Amino acid sequence: MMKGLRFIVALCMLALAWPVLAHKASDSYLVLKIEGQQVSGQWDIALRDIDFAIGLDADGNGEITWGEVQARHTEITAWALGRLSLQRGGACNVAVAQHLVDEHTDGTYAVLRLAGNCPSSTGDLGLTYRLLFDVDASHRGLLNLELDGIAQTAVLSPEASELRVKAGETSRLAQFFQYVIEGVWHIWIGFDHILFLLSLLLPAVLVFDARRWKGAATFGQALKEVMWVVTAFTVAHSITLTLAALQIVELPSRLVESAIAASVVLAAANNLYPVVQGRRWLVAFSFGLIHGFGFASVLTELGLPRDTLVLSLLGFNVGVETGQLAIVAVFLPLAFWLRDTPFYRKGVFQWGSWLTLVVALVWLVERAFNLKLITA
Amino acid sequence: MTALVFGLLAVFAAALASPRIPTQPSEVLERLPMRPTDTTARLLSALRAEVSQSAATKPGDPQAAIRLAEQYFELAMARGDPRYVGYADAVIRPFVQSNSAPLWAIRGQLLQYRHGFEAALSSFESALKVDPDFASAHAWRGAIFLVQADYGLAGAECEALHRLGRPALSGACTGLVDAYSGRMEAAIGHFQQALKATDDPGNRLWLLTRTGEVEAWLGRVARAEAAYRQALALGIEDGYLLAAWNDFLLDQKRPDEVVKSLASWESSDGLLLRLALAEKQLALPKAVVHAQVLQDRFAAAKARGDTTHRAEEARFLLNIKNDAQQALQIAAANYEIQREPRDARIVLEAAVAAADARAAKPVLDWLKRSGFEDAKLRELAKALPAGAP
Repeated sequence: MMKGLRFIVALCMLALAWPVLAHKASDSYLVLKIEGQQVSGQWDIALRDIDFAIGLDADGNGEITWGEVQARHTEITAWALGRLSLQRGGACNVAVAQHLVDEHTDGTYAVLRLAGNCPSSTGDLGLTYRLLFDVDASHRGLLNLELDGIAQTAVLSPEASELRVKAGETSRLAQFFQYVIEGVWHIWIGFDHILFLLSLLLPAVLVFDARRWKGAATFGQALKEVMWVVTAFTVAHSITLTLAALQIVELPSRLVESAIAASVVLAAANNLYPVVQGRRWLVAFSFGLIHGFGFASVLTELGLPRDTLVLSLLGFNVGVETGQLAIVAVFLPLAFWLRDTPFYRKGVFQWGSWLTLVVALVWLVERAFNLKLITA
Repeated sequence: MTALVFGLLAVFAAALASPRIPTQPSEVLERLPMRPTDTTARLLSALRAEVSQSAATKPGDPQAAIRLAEQYFELAMARGDPRYVGYADAVIRPFVQSNSAPLWAIRGQLLQYRHGFEAALSSFESALKVDPDFASAHAWRGAIFLVQADYGLAGAECEALHRLGRPALSGACTGLVDAYSGRMEAAIGHFQQALKATDDPGNRLWLLTRTGEVEAWLGRVARAEAAYRQALALGIEDGYLLAAWNDFLLDQKRPDEVVKSLASWESSDGLLLRLALAEKQLALPKAVVHAQVLQDRFAAAKARGDTTHRAEEARFLLNIKNDAQQALQIAAANYEIQREPRDARIVLEAAVAAADARAAKPVLDWLKRSGFEDAKLRELAKALPAGAP
C-alpha cells in the first residue's frame, strides 16, 4: 500500500532533475574532419558505457584498469565502428589509428583516434550513428563535423540517427552570399556611413571655381568624380576592415565611432566652407580608413568563421560595395539632372550639408561623451 | 588572486583535456557503480536474462521487460543516475504496441523525467483506462499537477486515491496541495496523520522532510529543524532531504554546517551547488574550484540539449556568477515548465536582483491566486521595484 508514496518521493526528486550520486546521462563526443577523400577524427566514449555494452571489467572487481581496456581494444573497435557509417560516393573506410583515454565531467572515456578515406572527394556526406541506442535510449552522440573546411554540430539520438551534410562548394557559396547580404544591410542601416558618402557626393555634380559653385559640364565629369570618391572610400575601408577583422589592429570602439562622426562633420563643413577641393578622393580615402574599423565591429559581432575568413571578409566587402553603388546609382542621375536648380543648390546642397553637420555634431558629442541625445 | 586561481584552473583543465596513453596497465581508470557480484547487479542480470528468454519464447509479451525497466527506474531514483533511465527506455521500446497499465506508467515516468509533462499525464491516463484502480498513476498525475501549480486538478487525483482506499498516499497528496495553496497548518496535519499510518522509513523520511519545509515557510525555525533532524536521524541517504535541509541552513546563515554536511556530495550537481554557495559565503578557496566544476556540468548538459537543470542553473548564475539578467531569463523559462515554490523563489530573487518586476509577473500572479504563505517569498515580492504589475 505504501509503495505508491515512493512515486511522489520519486517525482519530487526527479522534478529537481539532478543526478544525485553519479553524473549525467550518456554522451559520446565525435569529432570528424573530412577533407576530400580523407577522414580523420576522434571519438570519446565513456568507459562505463563500453562496459555496459560489451563488458570491460574482466576480473569483476568493479574497477576498470588500463590493462583491461587494452585487452579489449579489438572488440571496442569492432563494436564502435560497427555503429558508425560514413558515405561519400559510397561507404567510407574508417579505422582506429590509436587508442587513448581522457577525462570528462562524468568520468574516464576511451578515446579512439580515427583515420580513413572515402570513395569520392566531392559530394554530400551521409552519416549514420547507432552507438548504444539499443541499450540506452537516452544516449546522445554529440557530433562536431568539418566537411571540406566547413564546420557544423549536431546531436544524434535514436530519433535522429542519420545526417546528410551538404558538400562544401554550395554551402561556401551560401556563406559568401550571406556575408554579401550582411554588408549591404549594414551600409543601408549605417546612417553615419551613408551621410559621409553623401556629403562627399553632393558636390560631385558641381565644380568650385573662382570661389563659387557651378554645375558640372558633362555627366562623364560628374561620374568620374564619383568613381574616384567611391573607389577611394572602398579601398580604404577594405584595408582597415581586413586589419581589424584579422585582429592585427584593434582600436577602442568609442574612439572609432567618435572619429566616424567627426568625419561626417568635416565632410559636411567642407561643402559649406570649401577647404579641400579637387582631391576629394583623398578625403574619402583618409576617412574611409576610420569607417573600415566601424564595419569591422559589425563583422566581429556576426562572428567570422576561421576557415572561411577570407571568403567571408570578401563577401562582406562586396556587400558594402554593392550597397554603396545602389545609393550612387539612385543619387547620381537625380543630382546631375537637378544640379543647376536652386532646389539642389540651396535646398539639397546647402541645407542638406547643414543638416548633416548638425546631426553629425550631435553624434560626435554623444559618442565622445557616451551620452544619449537622439536615437540613430 | 582570483585571476591567478582561474588561470591555474585553465591550465589544469587544459592538461586534463588532452587525451593520453596511460603508462601502467594496472592504472585504475574508472570505478563502476556496482560489481557483478553485488546483489543489485545479480538481480539485474537475472532480469536481463528473463527479457532475452521472453523475447525468444513469448515475443510481444512485455512482462519481463516491464520488471527490468521498473528495476532500472528504481535504481535511477535511488542513485540519481540518469543512465538507468535511458536503459529502462531502451528495454520497453520494442513494445510500442502493448497496452498494459504498468507499461503506460513506465512510459509516463520516462516522459515526466524529461519534463514532457503533458505527454506524461496522458500516459498515466492511458494506464487508468486499462486499470482504473492503478493508484500510482493517480499519484503521479497528482504530483505533475502540483509541479504545474494546478491545485484543483491535483486535488481531484488526491480524492481518487482516497476513494481507492489509500489513506497514506492520499494524505501525502492532500498535504502537498494544502501546503502549496497556503493552508500550512492543514498540510502539517495531513503529514502527521500519514506519519502515524506508516512505518516505512523511506515514507517517513519524505513526510518529515516535507513537514520541515512547511514549518520553515511558516517561519517556525525550531520546529522545522526538529523535523529535518528527525528525518536525517533515519540514516538514509536522500538527495531531496539533503537539498531541503541545506537550503534551510543557507537561509539561516549557517554555511559552515552546510560545508560539513555536503563535503562528500560533490558528484551531485544539485548538492554541489549548495556546497559552493556555502563556500562562497565563507570565502573558502574551494568555492572557485566548485564553481568551475558546476559551470562545466551545465555546459555538458547544454551540449546534449538537456534543459532539465534550469532551476539550479539560474541559482548558480544569480548567486555565484552574479549574472542577474541571465539568471532571470533561465529562471523564467524554468517557471514556464515547473511552478513549485522553489521555482517561484529563484524567479523572484533574480527579478529583484535585476530590478525587473515584469518578468516576475507569473510568480506574483501565482502568489495572489494560490495564497501560498512563505514569509521569504512575500518579502521578495515586496522588494520588487515599484510599479509591479
